[in-house]
Amino acid sequence: MTGPLLNIKNYRLDIGTFDGPVHVLKDINLTVNRGDTLGIVGESGSGKTVLVRSVLGIGPKNSKVIEGSITFDGQDITALSERDWTKIRGIRISMIFQDPMTYLNPLFTVGRQISDVIAAHEKAGGQGVSSKAARRVRTEELLDQVGLPNPAMLFSQYPHQLSGGMRQRVLIAMALAGKPDLLIADEPTTALDVTVQAQVLDLINSLVEKLNLTVIMISHDIGAIATIAKRCAVMYKGEIVEQGLTADILSRPQHEYTQRLLAAVPDIDAAAAKVAAESSPANPAKPGALLQAIDLKKIYRSQSGTEFAAVDGISLSVKTGEIFGVVGESGSGKSTLARMLLRLIEPTSGDIIFDGQSISGLTGEPLRQMRRHMQFVFQNPHSALNGRHTIGDAIGEPLHIQTGMSRRDIEARTEALLDIVQLPKMFKYRYPHELSGGQKQRVCIARAIALNPRLLILDEPTSALDISVQAQVLDFLQQLRAELNLTYVFISHNLAVIRQICDRTIVMKRGEIVEQGDTEQIFLSPRQDYTKALIESGRKTSRAASLGPRADRIR
Amino acid sequence: MLIFAFRKLLTLIGTMIGIAALTFLITNVAPGDPARLVAGPNATEDMVATIRSEYGLDKSLPEQFIVYMGDLVRGDLGQSIVTTRPVLEEVLRYAPATLELVFVAMALGIVVGVPLGMLSAVYKDGPLDHVTRIFSISGVALPAFWFGIILQLMFAVDLGWLPVSGRLPLVTRPPEAYTGLLLVDSLISGRFSTFWTSLQHIILPAVVLSFPCLASILRVNRAEMIEVLQSDYIVAARAHGIASFRIVGLYALKNAMLPTLAMIGLRFGWMLGSTVLVETVFDWPGIGLYAVSSALSSDFKPVIGVTLMIGFFFIVANTLVDLAYAWIDPRLRSA
Repeated sequence: MTGPLLNIKNYRLDIGTFDGPVHVLKDINLTVNRGDTLGIVGESGSGKTVLVRSVLGIGPKNSKVIEGSITFDGQDITALSERDWTKIRGIRISMIFQDPMTYLNPLFTVGRQISDVIAAHEKAGGQGVSSKAARRVRTEELLDQVGLPNPAMLFSQYPHQLSGGMRQRVLIAMALAGKPDLLIADEPTTALDVTVQAQVLDLINSLVEKLNLTVIMISHDIGAIATIAKRCAVMYKGEIVEQGLTADILSRPQHEYTQRLLAAVPDIDAAAAKVAAESSPANPAKPGALLQAIDLKKIYRSQSGTEFAAVDGISLSVKTGEIFGVVGESGSGKSTLARMLLRLIEPTSGDIIFDGQSISGLTGEPLRQMRRHMQFVFQNPHSALNGRHTIGDAIGEPLHIQTGMSRRDIEARTEALLDIVQLPKMFKYRYPHELSGGQKQRVCIARAIALNPRLLILDEPTSALDISVQAQVLDFLQQLRAELNLTYVFISHNLAVIRQICDRTIVMKRGEIVEQGDTEQIFLSPRQDYTKALIESGRKTSRAASLGPRADRIR
Repeated sequence: MLIFAFRKLLTLIGTMIGIAALTFLITNVAPGDPARLVAGPNATEDMVATIRSEYGLDKSLPEQFIVYMGDLVRGDLGQSIVTTRPVLEEVLRYAPATLELVFVAMALGIVVGVPLGMLSAVYKDGPLDHVTRIFSISGVALPAFWFGIILQLMFAVDLGWLPVSGRLPLVTRPPEAYTGLLLVDSLISGRFSTFWTSLQHIILPAVVLSFPCLASILRVNRAEMIEVLQSDYIVAARAHGIASFRIVGLYALKNAMLPTLAMIGLRFGWMLGSTVLVETVFDWPGIGLYAVSSALSSDFKPVIGVTLMIGFFFIVANTLVDLAYAWIDPRLRSA
């Protein structure tokens, strides 16, 4: 019981690629004592996932340890044989994963998957596998422990029958099956809704207390880290740039990167004292509604005949020049709504009026013409660009389709657009995989504004991006609106972001509007319980991150 | 699950009617006067006219179709001109031989193809993977009749290990026909030596028939396994300490079996069709050989009968695949 539980010393790891080795981890030093809760913060590509997977011996295939060692409970596990791993993996060290949707095998029942884990542990422990019934009892116990109702029924259910939050609890139950000494949580809340995030974090916290767990949690979300971890390490480009008590790091970040990261976190409690003021006099001439939806409905019918209303009678009106926010959790119908506004999805009933003209009956050429004025920016820039087209082709495509411009004019316009989105002109020769996430999203925006549209519908434009990049893209969007006189419909599940940039907002739940009004008013005095709950759980993770001196960050 | 099965059964009936209509159309759209064909080259106009009214060929197409469908429902596939016996009876007599061949070939394809595909995926780009790649490309590329003749020359003529052709030697009395499948019947009647001989006879044609099928099952299974082995839930299973053997053989394989099953269903129909070639090479008395000899003597009712029969088994096989899909994948059951 002496010495640290986990000790990582001068650890360096390379991954062999086509272009030679990449130094993924550089000189990592980290110790975790029993009962510790350690958070590792870093953006995508910082090497945090590779690091924790190395601790579990499931690192990337072509990786190579260059130097250093990982010691677990006095035993060097840097170069353990697959046989010896079976005694540690899942039993003494276990892991919970980022996306509960993809980390459960879809073809096996929940009960089967957990009792298989139990059986594997018993086998590795050498005490012989217990009976099916005994394992079932233990499985139901575990399910109960992670706060899932009705474990007996759950036992014979399949993953697709459960919600995201329930699946994450199942994964936690699996990780606890071996009564692990060390629990590694890899972005356990990233793929979950705000309200569910808070619940899962609470659960992990209570388990830490109850079972005296040692936890390493990695996340790009500082708020989540702050709720769980007493100590914290910040990773940047494969290095640990800073580590210490979480509270210290949040209040007195030493490294320049940490400071930047903290400054970029949008604060749910910060009013946007902001651009709204300057934008309203910008279009005083046209106060009318640019886009209106009247009693819009989208009903899906399953094969068995049951009807499901994804969007259930929504009416809204977006004024010229404003940023109109749509908030809601996954499944609330916000993406369906956005797509219907552009008629990318055909509404079941209702009317859409753009600039005084109904577009719900349009087909063929008139519809195509109408689409010039309204463009869409998708959530994930990594999948919204065709990997086989150059950036120039991507931006030039709408010009090709919608205008009779000559090749040379298109070329010139493409360069001008790249300039507008603040990317070098030479980028037009590049391919999407050569760009970072933030750059790709700028390209998507450039493509969307190529035809000088009047309305942009932005569907979660920043949620696939790292926090520091998110801040840049948000700033840039606001600038762009002022320059080009645009109107935005901005969809997000992130309340802090909505508060930061939207003038008016609707809150959606199960296809309906539960609350609407001025953004500030909604945040200061929410009328509906659902809105209150949403803001409260958003605040839970946001506030933890803002332990630090807030005044520094607002300005 | 029951509702799902019932719905599949309805689709099966619908498709069957579709196939029947299609074969009817094709035979009627095809050039040539069937009555003249039946009457033979030396028939007079009178004789052709008699035959035309006798076969109902002077009625309008829709009328003919109704008569044809009515006959089908009653199981009447017409008569063979050469043997003057009902086609249904003959098709049923020849079908077991073909089915036996196809079943053995399919079993061979699955039993060899699936594990080889699995191993090639696990040891991707290793020696085994390269060998199976060459093996499966040649499997698809080699023409069946050529491959069949080469095997006959090697194993039957040169080495003398296996018989050249046929189902059983002429001197052997076939076992009592319970199912029509010799391998099964001989076991039921306890005649193990007959089982052994018929097994020897079926090996070569079954290998030839299964080779392309085995190759495509192997490739599909390999590709699918590679994909599945990289998925998140496999990483999770490893992290939870499940043994590698179990992960590959159960967790991954079950997921990879879905596309493989689809391939098996498709290949089943393809096999029934290619028995025509293989049965000719190996003188195997099945419906393929029957269809060829009937076609050669312009006896068109048996050809239609065989087409319907192959269509029927193809649909049944694919319905079974659909059911197996739902059995494996819980997400499909509710749909």
